[in-house]
Amino acid sequence: MAVHKIFRNTLVALVGLVCVIYGLASEEVKARTVSTKYSCINCHRDFTAVLQKGHPPVKGKDITACLVCHPPKSTGKPELNAFSARLHRAHQCSKQKLDCLVCHTWQPARIFGLPMQKWTIGKSSRKDMDLLKQIFNSWSSSVFLDALHAKKNVTCKGCHGNTIPISEATIENDRCLSCHGGLEQLTAKTSPLEFPDRNPHKSHLGEINCTVCHHAHRESEVYCLGCHKTFQMKIPGVSIKSSKSTE
Amino acid sequence: MEKENLVKKDLIVSRRSILKGAVGMSVMAAAGSLALDLTTQKAEASILKTIPKKWDETIDVVVVGSGFAGLAAAAEASGARSQTVILEKMPTYGGNSIISGGSYSSWDDKYHLRQEQNLGDDSPAKWKEDWLKGGDFYSAPELIEVIVNGAAPALNWMIDEGGLEIRKVLARHGGHSAFRAHMAIEAVGRPYTEALKKIGENRGAKIRLGTQVSWIWRKDMDGPVLGVEVTKGNKKTNIKVKRALILASGGFSRDVKMRIAYNPALVPEFNCTNQPGSTGEIIRYAQAIGADALQLAFIQLFPFAEPESGILDVFATYPAKGAGYGFVYVNKLGKRFVDEMERRDVVAYAQIKTGVKPTYSIFNELMMKKMAGEKELEAGVRKGRFIRGDTITELAGKLGIPGDTMQETIAKYNKYLQEGKDSDFNKKITKQMVPLTEGPFYAVAQWPAVHHTMGGLRINPSAQVIDIWGNPIPRLYAAGEITGGIHGSNRLAGNAYPDCVVFGRIAGINAAKEKALS
Repeated sequence: MAVHKIFRNTLVALVGLVCVIYGLASEEVKARTVSTKYSCINCHRDFTAVLQKGHPPVKGKDITACLVCHPPKSTGKPELNAFSARLHRAHQCSKQKLDCLVCHTWQPARIFGLPMQKWTIGKSSRKDMDLLKQIFNSWSSSVFLDALHAKKNVTCKGCHGNTIPISEATIENDRCLSCHGGLEQLTAKTSPLEFPDRNPHKSHLGEINCTVCHHAHRESEVYCLGCHKTFQMKIPGVSIKSSKSTE
Repeated sequence: MEKENLVKKDLIVSRRSILKGAVGMSVMAAAGSLALDLTTQKAEASILKTIPKKWDETIDVVVVGSGFAGLAAAAEASGARSQTVILEKMPTYGGNSIISGGSYSSWDDKYHLRQEQNLGDDSPAKWKEDWLKGGDFYSAPELIEVIVNGAAPALNWMIDEGGLEIRKVLARHGGHSAFRAHMAIEAVGRPYTEALKKIGENRGAKIRLGTQVSWIWRKDMDGPVLGVEVTKGNKKTNIKVKRALILASGGFSRDVKMRIAYNPALVPEFNCTNQPGSTGEIIRYAQAIGADALQLAFIQLFPFAEPESGILDVFATYPAKGAGYGFVYVNKLGKRFVDEMERRDVVAYAQIKTGVKPTYSIFNELMMKKMAGEKELEAGVRKGRFIRGDTITELAGKLGIPGDTMQETIAKYNKYLQEGKDSDFNKKITKQMVPLTEGPFYAVAQWPAVHHTMGGLRINPSAQVIDIWGNPIPRLYAAGEITGGIHGSNRLAGNAYPDCVVFGRIAGINAAKEKALS
């Protein structure tokens, strides 16, 4: 039964191959709004070239070849072998940006998943899907916090939980602090040497949302500097240009 | 000819008759649910906005703004079992309140601090007199009456139910004839906002941050407020208000265009002490549905802001709090230029008239000890806000002021204290004022910055917003800096806190009493 399915998928994938080649050749891998399955083999004739030393040989022509041994874990925590993060980053690097739907299955507002998996990672509307693609590019190659997380192998679910985020998703402080804290440790870590009371994590505004300053998918900003223009404060996740201006 | 006359007659139908009268009704009936909007020039165009056919949400009491007034209103409304939501456009709660200086004026408190410490007499009547005089009698006496009587119960409420801790000392600010300024343990507004937030959240009120009100829905000049349009990110939704809408969104000090429109002297070069969100758009939305506003030209300068940034940090609060203990203000020439006990407007404009930025408050440790500890003094020095000198001459040298002039000024001032008479500025000398004889001496630089907009929406003692015809707008309340006619032409230090909390509570209580719309 399973073999039969793989065979069928391969057939479907071969049909999709033409589209992939067209997409790559024109260098116009734009967001697609239809669910189409693609194959890996137009780039990877042989998986061995991209596998770690000692990795057992892999047969197959699409993502399902990997999923047999690397089933997606929806724990919401960074995975130890970082399979998902590495796979995503490798296919979203500066040289090429593959469409999500090369690997993922999608039916607008119904299913966003992986072939052969019964569950869905969440529901993504057409509008959300466009945003998702845009943000995913940012995750793989921006100067913002998303990319800093990507380098540490933290994927979407590291912050957003088990289901793919929808627009206007926000992150609660507890989520950030589960890796970066508790608040007390964080406060201690960021206490300014000269003026300890100018600590952005313990300010006169009380306990505020991390996201006031730390934006994942756009430039982060030191909110304090909106009023305290003379303070010397830095924040990660900004472009070189703006980090210079705050120094 | 007849036809032309007819057309003319149609055109000169007044806006009021369009809004109130049969013409308006027929227009509205024909078009369905049109919304009131007086901001557009033409009467016909003023009713083109359409009231939402479907509401995204229904809430009993919606409060706009999360400062003292909004928090107090939400606490009382939710306490009366109304579902209450605060909409705050900024990413953090607390508005100007959370960053404010921390002085809460009240003639009394549960500890009776003034009586305990023999700081003289006071009463609601005496306070009211100072209040009216301080604002050049532009304040509405019936509103002040409400505040002076409600201030002590409101303070005790924050202490008892909100866990607010206050210092067991009192200060006397300029324009006040008695020691009535209460301070929290930390000399800022946050302990008060936290106390109010705690009361509100315990009672079930919710705060939505980053949520901006972008329109107030009202159908006609006789009808109630129906709801609000809310903008969050790029998304607009509409909330139906089941009981009432409370406007507590503060003033417009940060809206340079608006403040210049009412007071052209307040050029953009003036710094501002406010948080960036004080931009007054809710006043304009309220005016667009018929709310009356008054005294918008009365805009206060805070005399003692940090000269470069306009920041009102804790160090900038001492020149005002210290006046009663004998702080001396000098200009760049080392000379006094004003009665230090004068009101904010007098001190601010006296500084501007000196012609050279900045001026300085001169004080010693003994005076500071009456208000704060050694720690604050040290912190001020380390941050470069307080300049220290063992002698007056040394201090003057550090400030770039001629030493002999400054010394002469201080010697003369000490003599005035001794004699009980200020021959230069006729300051009323009291026994709480400390002479500048014992060093080391300190100075803090100061310069006026735009601080408070006294004008705003017209309300009655029930905190109802009054329309341009003098009638309350059904289901619309306002409290705090968004309202006008309370502080007159000049707000006295420490008077905004009780204004916000007392009228916030009243607005909340009355909003919850409104009969729920089905």
